[in-house]
Amino acid sequence: MNTLARVEDLHISFGGVAAASGISLTVEQGEFLALIGPNGAGKTTALRMVAGLLRPDRGRVFFGERDVTNLPAHARVRLGLGFTHQIVRPFYGFTTVENVMLAAGHHQTESPWRALASRSRAAAREKAQAILERIGLGAQAGQSPRALPLGQRKRLEVARALALDPKLLLLDEPLAGLSSHEATTMADLVRALSGQGITVVLVEHNLGEVLRVADRLVVLDAGKVLAEGLPKDVMARPDVRQAYTGVI
Amino acid sequence: MSAYIASLVSVIGINLILALSLNIITGFCGQVSLGHAAFYGIGAYTAAYLAKLGAPLPLTLLAGAAMAGAIGIVVGLTSLRVRHDFLAVTTMGIGFVFLGFVRKQKWLGGELGISGIPGSGLDPVSYAVLIVAFAAAVMGFCLWIKHSWMGFTFDAVADDEDAARTVGVNVSTYKLVAFGIGTALAGLAGGLYVYFARIILPDTFDFVQSIAILTMVVIGGTGSVWGVFAATIALTLLPEVSRAAADYRLLIFGAMLILVMRFSPGGLASLVRRKPA
Amino acid sequence: MLFVELIVKGLVYGCMYAMMAVGLTLVYGLLRILHIAHAGVFALGAYMAVTVTNATGSLALGFLVAAVVSAVAGTVIYRLAYQPILHHQAFVPMVVSIGLFIVMQEAFRMIFGAYGIAFDNNPWYVANISLGGINLTYVEIAMVITSVTLLVGFGLFAGLTRAGIGWRATVSDPQMATSFGVDAVRVRYINFLFGSALAGIAGGLVGLLNNYVEPTMGGAVSYKALAIIVLGGLGSVRGTLVASLVLGVVEAFGAIYLADIFDRDAIGFLFLIIVLMVRPQGLLGRSSG
Repeated sequence: MNTLARVEDLHISFGGVAAASGISLTVEQGEFLALIGPNGAGKTTALRMVAGLLRPDRGRVFFGERDVTNLPAHARVRLGLGFTHQIVRPFYGFTTVENVMLAAGHHQTESPWRALASRSRAAAREKAQAILERIGLGAQAGQSPRALPLGQRKRLEVARALALDPKLLLLDEPLAGLSSHEATTMADLVRALSGQGITVVLVEHNLGEVLRVADRLVVLDAGKVLAEGLPKDVMARPDVRQAYTGVI
Repeated sequence: MSAYIASLVSVIGINLILALSLNIITGFCGQVSLGHAAFYGIGAYTAAYLAKLGAPLPLTLLAGAAMAGAIGIVVGLTSLRVRHDFLAVTTMGIGFVFLGFVRKQKWLGGELGISGIPGSGLDPVSYAVLIVAFAAAVMGFCLWIKHSWMGFTFDAVADDEDAARTVGVNVSTYKLVAFGIGTALAGLAGGLYVYFARIILPDTFDFVQSIAILTMVVIGGTGSVWGVFAATIALTLLPEVSRAAADYRLLIFGAMLILVMRFSPGGLASLVRRKPA
Repeated sequence: MLFVELIVKGLVYGCMYAMMAVGLTLVYGLLRILHIAHAGVFALGAYMAVTVTNATGSLALGFLVAAVVSAVAGTVIYRLAYQPILHHQAFVPMVVSIGLFIVMQEAFRMIFGAYGIAFDNNPWYVANISLGGINLTYVEIAMVITSVTLLVGFGLFAGLTRAGIGWRATVSDPQMATSFGVDAVRVRYINFLFGSALAGIAGGLVGLLNNYVEPTMGGAVSYKALAIIVLGGLGSVRGTLVASLVLGVVEAFGAIYLADIFDRDAIGFLFLIIVLMVRPQGLLGRSSG
């Protein structure tokens, strides 16, 4: 397997409190990796550093062979690093399909001049509609995101990331706040995406679903990697159990 | 066309360019600016200064637009650094810094401004037609932007900057482009004004002027090209219609701002579209 | 000596700015509105002070009326203009505030005339005493005493009384305070009452200082007060007080040393823009924002 992304020795602290103290991990091409750990372990922080939403105090982030540590988030998106926020952030002024269209037209929006020269939205609309169908939001295309329940808004967030043609998809707690039925549907959806050749890194609290769908686990605790490996091996380790039970 | 009509048409054309240019920054891209008159002034002072040195009209207009646009991009840099409300006060400040600067410059005429500006070489009617042609071109350009991917992306930046970054939009670049285009067009309006008035005074470009431009945009409906078009013409003609309206022009502007925001924050455009608020 | 004199004069102006800026900061902290119409309240206070004083001969009565009328005007503005549109994005109340300011300015012009009014009997704006070689007029001294007294008084109210503690809680976290039973709406009224009374008194004092009250007098001062609250980090009372004094001093020096390049009104904003380029969160603001 090829390494798609890799982080080395990431450190970051907020107001003197360390949220990551030396996180290193690699993401292999095509795998479905879940990042788990107790509250405050630094999972979301790590993900946000990979996405470029946070800049590490120390350490490097590589995407493919390229060092992207100093690239802003939008530039990483263009390299194929899609991500979704824990708290959904649709454009509330757009319809559902327009939300996805803007992402689908990422070639047009790459530079303002190309954007100014491009008028036709038909191709982007078609692509966006197809993604919405694939993700089960086809019927909601014309609605405002305000009208969508949380479960569908979370799917819209995923649809928007997919429209960017990502090589690597970073998902920050896509199951949070969903009912158990919705969570299962969403986990299946992400599993299916992973089956279609997209590499997925998932940060998630819902251990049951994570263990059901992920290929490999990385456990973070207190800003460090505690363990990694196959789900059943990792969960059998006493230190992992201790980390969970000790904190909760 | 009588001289009176020609002058009225010229004023309408200049105001249209001003309002449409602010609409690119505030309406399309969602960046508040309370100092737009400063860029109008920068264009006017640049054009007037060059005209007095003997530069031909195309060159002075171009230089005015370029100077305003260049300074506009520098001001746009603050929009990358500061939050919304900070930006409103900062852009207001740009207006005061501009006025405070030109008033003290002897080579720009100080408080007395620049007078004795050479004519455009056109008679008033032809010059009015030239202004209208520019205004029409700006109008067409705005409609083009609105329906292009640039307009779509501006909408996204105005709606939610963080979400825009998530879909790969370089928010900073787009904001700077909006500031650059909007302020350059305001500079163009300034250059056109110079040959129309043949004299410029610092006070023409003060805070009240910035607010007057903002009024046209807000009442028309921020972001709506046709709404701004209609509001600009209506508000420019208003003082011509009656003496009372001329005397109380500012009072009427102020009252309209309050009432429109209270009952239809989307401006005239949203009344026409009957969109639910 | 010039150096010390400029600092002292700057601090005097800083005290006046503080009286204006504290009201703006109180409104911003609670409602996130850039209350540009505060300028109108300031001018209203000046007009009340000058007309009542001239009519009755009593300066005290003039200032009392100025404070009360301004306070009432401020709360009426809140109730009628802002409260119905608070749910809109920040742009909407700001534009309303600009509209209100213009309407008030034009109303003063219509009622009191375009050409300013002077106090019939105002010996204090020329009479001065020398403190360590620096001449200060009685009005300047009154400005400092009034602003320090009122602001310290408010500080004691906020720090020591039960109502004051509820007020402070609401300003720092309205939702939390509401859940503890503080009446957030009443706190908004307190903010407008107190902030507007301060602005009205400041207006009266500036009227005395220049011995001249005119429709547009609120403009320059309140634009600077807006710059000050941004400098202070929007919503921070402490930051606002510091920024007021700093701006007063910067302006006093700038007006001398930059006199050939910029006029006085531009200096404050120039300073603001430079500071914001270096510290986008303002002088004392917290970083993330």
